[in-house]
Amino acid sequence: MMKRRLRSSISTTWQTAVIVVAALLLGALFIAFAGESPLECYGVMLEGALGSMSRISEIMIKMVPLMIMALGVSIAFRAKLWNIGAEGQMIVGAITSAVVGLYIPLLPWLHMIIAPIFGMIGGALWAMIAGWLRVRFNANEVITTMMLNYVALYLLAYMVYGPMQEPGGYNYPQSSSMAESIQLTPLGAGLRVNTSVFVAIGVLILIILFWRSRFGFTVDLLGHGTKITNYAGLNANRTIIWTMMLSGALSGLVGWIEVYGVHFRLLEGIGAGFGDLAVVITLLGKMSPIGILFASFFISALLVGGATMQRMTAIPYSIVDIIQGLVIVLLITQPMIQQKLQARKARGIYVE
Amino acid sequence: MESIAVEMRDITKIFGHKAANDHVNFTLRRGTIHGLLGENGAGKTTLMNILYGLYKPEGGDIFLKGERVDIQSPEKAISLGIGMVHQHFMLANPLTVTENIMAGNFRKRQILLRKDQFRREVLELAERYKMKVDPDSYIWQNSVGEQQRIEILSVLFQDIDILILDEPTAVLTPSETDELFITLRELVDDGKSIVMITHKLDEILQVADEVTVLRDGKNVGCRKIDETVTKRDLSSMMIGYDIDLDLQSTHECTGDCIALSVKDLTVKNDKGLIALDHISFDIKEGEILGLAGVDGNGQKELCEALTGLRPVEAGQIYVKGDDFTGKNSKDFINAGVSFVPEDRRDVGLALDWNIANNLIIKEYGTDAFSSRGLLLRNKIKSHAKEMIERFDIRAIGEDALVKDLSGGNQQKVILARELNGLPSVLIANQPTRGVDINATMNIRREIIESSNNGTAVLLVSADLEEIIQVSDRIAVIYDGKIMGILPGRSSVAEIGPLMLGERMQRHDETASA
Repeated sequence: MMKRRLRSSISTTWQTAVIVVAALLLGALFIAFAGESPLECYGVMLEGALGSMSRISEIMIKMVPLMIMALGVSIAFRAKLWNIGAEGQMIVGAITSAVVGLYIPLLPWLHMIIAPIFGMIGGALWAMIAGWLRVRFNANEVITTMMLNYVALYLLAYMVYGPMQEPGGYNYPQSSSMAESIQLTPLGAGLRVNTSVFVAIGVLILIILFWRSRFGFTVDLLGHGTKITNYAGLNANRTIIWTMMLSGALSGLVGWIEVYGVHFRLLEGIGAGFGDLAVVITLLGKMSPIGILFASFFISALLVGGATMQRMTAIPYSIVDIIQGLVIVLLITQPMIQQKLQARKARGIYVE
Repeated sequence: MESIAVEMRDITKIFGHKAANDHVNFTLRRGTIHGLLGENGAGKTTLMNILYGLYKPEGGDIFLKGERVDIQSPEKAISLGIGMVHQHFMLANPLTVTENIMAGNFRKRQILLRKDQFRREVLELAERYKMKVDPDSYIWQNSVGEQQRIEILSVLFQDIDILILDEPTAVLTPSETDELFITLRELVDDGKSIVMITHKLDEILQVADEVTVLRDGKNVGCRKIDETVTKRDLSSMMIGYDIDLDLQSTHECTGDCIALSVKDLTVKNDKGLIALDHISFDIKEGEILGLAGVDGNGQKELCEALTGLRPVEAGQIYVKGDDFTGKNSKDFINAGVSFVPEDRRDVGLALDWNIANNLIIKEYGTDAFSSRGLLLRNKIKSHAKEMIERFDIRAIGEDALVKDLSGGNQQKVILARELNGLPSVLIANQPTRGVDINATMNIRREIIESSNNGTAVLLVSADLEEIIQVSDRIAVIYDGKIMGILPGRSSVAEIGPLMLGERMQRHDETASA
């Protein structure tokens, strides 16, 4: 019994690694079918991901938003609130923070404080809508957050084709660019990676502390059901709403990072599919901050390395999508496989 | 010569890591009532589900009248003449009795449904076994006891020889239980064979011809029931050692102050119907008020109202003299009102969490367990160790998941949390339901001890034996009303009629006494 528990706690840490390795091995099969050498391909990928400072900088550019969003998603997920609307929350956060930069004249340093706060508020309010619908009408948050993604996409389209479109631009779906004084500073000459890395580290530490605080305990408690939450003297409805808001706030913060550190303006397509990737990372990282750190690194490296691979070899970029897909399939089938293995083990004990 | 109806040999069934049935042998003689006795989790229901074709065993054979049979599905079981009445009834509320029985049996009949013919057959069958049933009434109009009768009738309709009943008395009043036993006798006299799953020793002695006892998935013995068999014999077979079944409460309420007072309380249930209708009672410090009654007569709603989890429509709740009407659950917790909920798996415990966390879900925000918002892991851990020691929770440690504990130990986790820090009021709803005998006795002792320390206890239980054993006074609830408040140690004969809705004559005097 004791041994079993020990084994299971170790295995949780290794689950992420096992899934990654299994996905890469299965991916190797696909590469082999395509008539290429898997070893060479992965070599090129690794080189392409980590081969130079600028490559690492590219990984960071992907990893920062993905990790922060996944940390946000994990807050909702641990409360068993299936918030899959990270992308919509990020888009709204991008819009609200861009409004600050474009239309509110402030001192640059004040901008650097107000804009991210606006981004977080935008994301939080967007997520709150789904939380409120859940509390008030018992509406399933999977549906509402997904629908709100579309609403956010069209809101963004309206903004960049309408009131926020760059005056005198060539009718591109984008806003004017942010003043240089309020952009996030690159960490080195010629590198795209910027000070948002420190924001990400800060968020990671805060979230680690969050799960050790009584607020994190409350979120975990909610994850065990609304009945026990009420029984413990908390208001489950209120907890649902602030948990969703907290989750959305982090995605909103990513909206700010993308506007002020990557694109330097609001533009259509700023979401870039980050929402879905954040969900994959959250699940791959088993909803723990450290797990999410590694999972977001893996996915980012895969994206960057894959792009290089496509340029250097005959293997198409879709192998990256295949590996991502394999990760998802493995994540979903993992509990079933584990159960089968356990059942077989148990049978071995009793049949003899 | 007695012939054998069913023989099960070497049945083995494994769930996960545990053998629910470990090479179990079971023999049912024709024309007898066979008690299948064991504690929760001993494997009784599993064994019968195998006989009914719901589970496929990992090993073993089943013989019907000497012939080996392979029962892969309930359909097959029914065609072989084996019927089962589950603990939870499978009746459709909006349909009438006849329609329900038709729904369970239409397949083998002609294409066109002939309701009048069915109705006649239902009546004939009911008459044959002296069961009172109105074939035209709707299910929801029938009491739980009547619904069970309908369920049995529906199974009998399938021309079965062997009837399996899973804990049939769990939901019945004493008099309904007596009626059920009369029906069972009729069936047996007609040549049917019955297996009755139960964990109640009295019932075995009262109605069974034979008993098979299961413990930890193993058959520990089979006995004929005669005058020489005692409860003590059966209980020691069931749990493996002797236990003192007579908890003598030396408890005397000594307090004068009223800790909990309820005045004209009216509360609605989840459907918006009146669940409690102007009920009033007081509980003094150190007093145990037992609330007897059949399940579903407003007990759950009362407990929730008294802990701030359900809104009050009218009336007042006073805790130690302060008006708590309309306060929320946090306020009640802070006032020292503890609550052992009926549904421990959903409400009282987070099953996928460890013991340590479960012990602090009401207190983690206090200075005892957190400082500047951060949880103090060491204090949580040492607190858990202390509670495990004090309440004798059997687990591998404070990190053990609650879902891996037995029902009794799960309940101990709740009691440890709720009794820690000397509550002023304890609301306990079915604290020993589904818990083994040994743990039951411990839980009753803990409740008595807390009242000795001054806690006012409202003990809600459908188990009259429990109510009589520990209560200072006994209130009886029926259909959301208090039928009367009796002194402690009243007899089943006195309490029983009130549980069926007969109002006590001297209600007002005793209530205020």
